[in-house]
Amino acid sequence: MSEENNVNNENNEIKPGEAAPKDSEFEKLEAELEKSIRERDEYLDGWKRAKADFINYKKEELARLEEIVKFGSEDVIRDLIPVLDSFELGLASLEKAGPVEKGVYMIKGQLEDVLRRRGLEKIKVTPGEVFNPVYHESVGTVEANISTASYQSGTVAEEVETGYVLQSKVLRPARVRLVK
Amino acid sequence: MAVVEGGEPKILENAEGNRTTPSVVAISKANERLVGLVAKRQAITNPQNTIFSVKRLIGRKFADAEVGKDKSWLPYEIRAAADGGVEIKMGDPSTSSGQAKYYRPEEISAMVLAKLKADAEMRLGEKIEEAVITVPAYFDDSQRQATKNAGEIAGFKVRRIINEPTAAALAYGLNRDKNEQIVVYDFGGGTFDISVLEVGDDTVEVKATGGDTHLGGDDFDK
Repeated sequence: MSEENNVNNENNEIKPGEAAPKDSEFEKLEAELEKSIRERDEYLDGWKRAKADFINYKKEELARLEEIVKFGSEDVIRDLIPVLDSFELGLASLEKAGPVEKGVYMIKGQLEDVLRRRGLEKIKVTPGEVFNPVYHESVGTVEANISTASYQSGTVAEEVETGYVLQSKVLRPARVRLVK
Repeated sequence: MAVVEGGEPKILENAEGNRTTPSVVAISKANERLVGLVAKRQAITNPQNTIFSVKRLIGRKFADAEVGKDKSWLPYEIRAAADGGVEIKMGDPSTSSGQAKYYRPEEISAMVLAKLKADAEMRLGEKIEEAVITVPAYFDDSQRQATKNAGEIAGFKVRRIINEPTAAALAYGLNRDKNEQIVVYDFGGGTFDISVLEVGDDTVEVKATGGDTHLGGDDFDK
């Protein structure tokens, strides 16, 4: 009996007065609207994020491409530096043996010009200047002598090997000896 | 150092444009603190105040046989700390404002990590607050804890400490395809490490480690 009552009650709820279907329809529509608004916000948020990610990606890619253009020839230039070293050593040895053909200097100048156009610069080292590990690498010390007497201890006494900078990036520091 | 971007690790260059940073810290003769390559470049003429190979000391007791051996050849001064750990002397009292100070190995490591943090933040244009740090597979709990402390001193929340060979295996994507045993060798600057790993679906287990703690690329440079 009680079950029957329940069923009746339920039936009563399902079939209420005339206004009831409208209410439930309204509630249904309202729920759908809420769901739609929620989904819209979610998708809009996702779209905005994706757009921001894409803008960031474009910026990063552009920066990366600029780096590639700037340092694209870094490997080749790095490999050419020892060649330049050997050229200088060879030239110094030739100079000791006697006068050297002007053309040899011109070829060296040509090679240096090509590398300079690609952004390679020599690190200038002046004896007596303050040692700066950003551009210099110390390979030892020398006792103070007549030529270094006016320099402070710990400053650059002499250059042992030329250093190079490519587009403000140190490819090889200038190797120097310091005043003891 | 690397960041994970879109699920893939990407190596970040440091401020000098290099993909690796030597773990070297120094107080220069001009009383400046130098970290990384710039510290290494002045090591020959400033050996007492150029700290390297701190990985050999971190998390160890001064009385350890290994520390005793290293003390004999390290150019900088180390002493026993109050808790039995190691302290490293850095700073040159001969300079005008210079003062020698003793640092814990984790403080020195933190200086390297802080430089990496600053460089990564500069590259990415955002704050980096969390990090995963790798350690040699043979590191014990104390060495791992000290490494974690170093990360925290540098301002990181250390998410995890993982084994170096495990990191290498993950970076090569060796955990993706099949269950297998692999050998990872790491010929570093100061040490040579070799590990046998068992790689499963979700796990990488270090089965054995070996190597030479006094052999590295620096020996070739000499």
